[in-house]
Amino acid sequence: MLERYIQAVRTDAPGNEEPAATRERLKSRFAPGAVRRMTQLGMLVGAALGEMDPGEEDTLVYASQFGESRALEGYLESFPGASPTLFQTSIHPSGAQQGLIGRQRSVREFFPLAGGAQLVSCTVQAALLAASERVLLCGGEERGTWLVAPGAASDLAFAFALALNRTRQSGAVGRLALEPVADAAGALALAEWFDLLHNRRAFAGAVAPGWRLTLEWL
Amino acid sequence: MASSAETSAVRLASCDCLTPFGNAAATLSALLRGERALQPVPVLGLEGGDAVPMALLPGRALDETNPPAWLHSLQTLLAPVAGPQWGTSRRPVCVTSSNFGVGSLYELRRTGETGHAAQGTPHGSVALVRRTLGWGENVAIFSHACVSAHLGLVHATRLLAAGAADEALVVSYDFLSPFVAGGFHALKILNADFPAPYQDRATGSIGLGDGAGYAVLSRDRGGLALAAHSLHNEMYHFTANRPDGAGFAAALGPLAAAAAGRRLWVKGHGTGTLEAGRLEAAAIARAFPGAPLVGWKGSLGHTLGSCGLVELAVAAAAIGAGRTPGTVGSAPPAFTDSVALAPFDNAAFDGVVCASNAFGGAHAALLLSHA
Repeated sequence: MLERYIQAVRTDAPGNEEPAATRERLKSRFAPGAVRRMTQLGMLVGAALGEMDPGEEDTLVYASQFGESRALEGYLESFPGASPTLFQTSIHPSGAQQGLIGRQRSVREFFPLAGGAQLVSCTVQAALLAASERVLLCGGEERGTWLVAPGAASDLAFAFALALNRTRQSGAVGRLALEPVADAAGALALAEWFDLLHNRRAFAGAVAPGWRLTLEWL
Repeated sequence: MASSAETSAVRLASCDCLTPFGNAAATLSALLRGERALQPVPVLGLEGGDAVPMALLPGRALDETNPPAWLHSLQTLLAPVAGPQWGTSRRPVCVTSSNFGVGSLYELRRTGETGHAAQGTPHGSVALVRRTLGWGENVAIFSHACVSAHLGLVHATRLLAAGAADEALVVSYDFLSPFVAGGFHALKILNADFPAPYQDRATGSIGLGDGAGYAVLSRDRGGLALAAHSLHNEMYHFTANRPDGAGFAAALGPLAAAAAGRRLWVKGHGTGTLEAGRLEAAAIARAFPGAPLVGWKGSLGHTLGSCGLVELAVAAAAIGAGRTPGTVGSAPPAFTDSVALAPFDNAAFDGVVCASNAFGGAHAALLLSHA
């Protein structure tokens, strides 16, 4: 069984907040002027992750199904005069990089994942397999516009960050485990995972064929 | 991985790639002959634009089709390792890419045909591949620009080391489109010039290439081992590296320590940009004194998120053949004396370091050696 203890959790559920409002709400979390070119997802994830004080030896694991939806839309709209800025920003895993670049925080290991029904199971697996003492598991989505209808962008915005320790330490708030289970089948979407974290709800069940996830709050 | 390289005894049970030259053996032969797959192609495909160096699979247009024209090529590449068990919990698949099906989103925007949308996202693109190849649902998707393939290899290594899998299949694919070509052209590093990796010249430039690869990782099959991995992410700037080269050193140093005492050659990232090439060549010369450095993107172009796996397959083929291609497309003067411009025999070497770099100052390197 793979397991780690949750030392800290941060979530942000901005609902229908527009990027400009998010920028205004979160600008104090970043260096002056840094938010000007940040995406909504970059600000949401960057603010949540920033509270974990990421360090060089932390392993960073990042999950987003759609990534920078607005930047992607803007970049596509910029053709034939493709925008270099939107090209850079639209590339997965820009959402996690923006805040770290703003803070000039290098990390040795960075595992950005994308995916659909198996995204949560794979992300948790990557986090629990890491060799470092502390793992920062973060992720989220931003609300797209015209790419939502064809299913190529998220219709929700949210962000989360967890600090996971190998051993149970003082102040631990939860436990995360993944164990192989024969004949199990299931899936857990990223938005469903976010709801569990945001509402501090426990979960025990199959999240992928052959894998059972346990999330418990201490 | 902490501040030391992650060592492992995981073996490369099989490995191959697809480039415009063909599979790894055909690609190796072409590189040894000094052939260049890059050709001038309009940067926006049907929409025209400047002609820039790109290496497309034979007969494939830059503009995406529905279903994607590259799907059959990928299926053919993976035919030798096709089987009903991939994607189960004990035989998971890691798919890595920086593009996935994003060319389909460009077509969606250009044509308004909504049929392109389903394979435009990473999960949609991989779902199409998964259905086509008959994989199960245990498929992890990593996307970290041009070090993506390395992350799939590290993750698969860890699954095996933890006993969480019996074997793992790592697959990477990046097929070009106006989306990505237009982006690099806008950044002004994809221009009319052909790339000359590690060559000290006035202007830098890159080429882009179609590429795909796979590796089956095993605990006990194969004559080559992925003996060590090292990662580092500078988070200094979105596209530039730290000007002192500290990021390159941070990634290569742990691997050099893990490989101490071995005689190595190095397959570098070497896209053809000047600043990154100069920093990389200098860092490699310091970390691996005397090790010949080669780069193959002057011929194959940059296969982006798949370059780590495409070039690993070529490196493995080179070890098998006993002959390493030189840095095709480049001429003197080079950034360092260690840059090998011509092919050389590799039988006397113990292994090869394969390095890749990416946006965000991401660095990844691995040591491939005899098991």
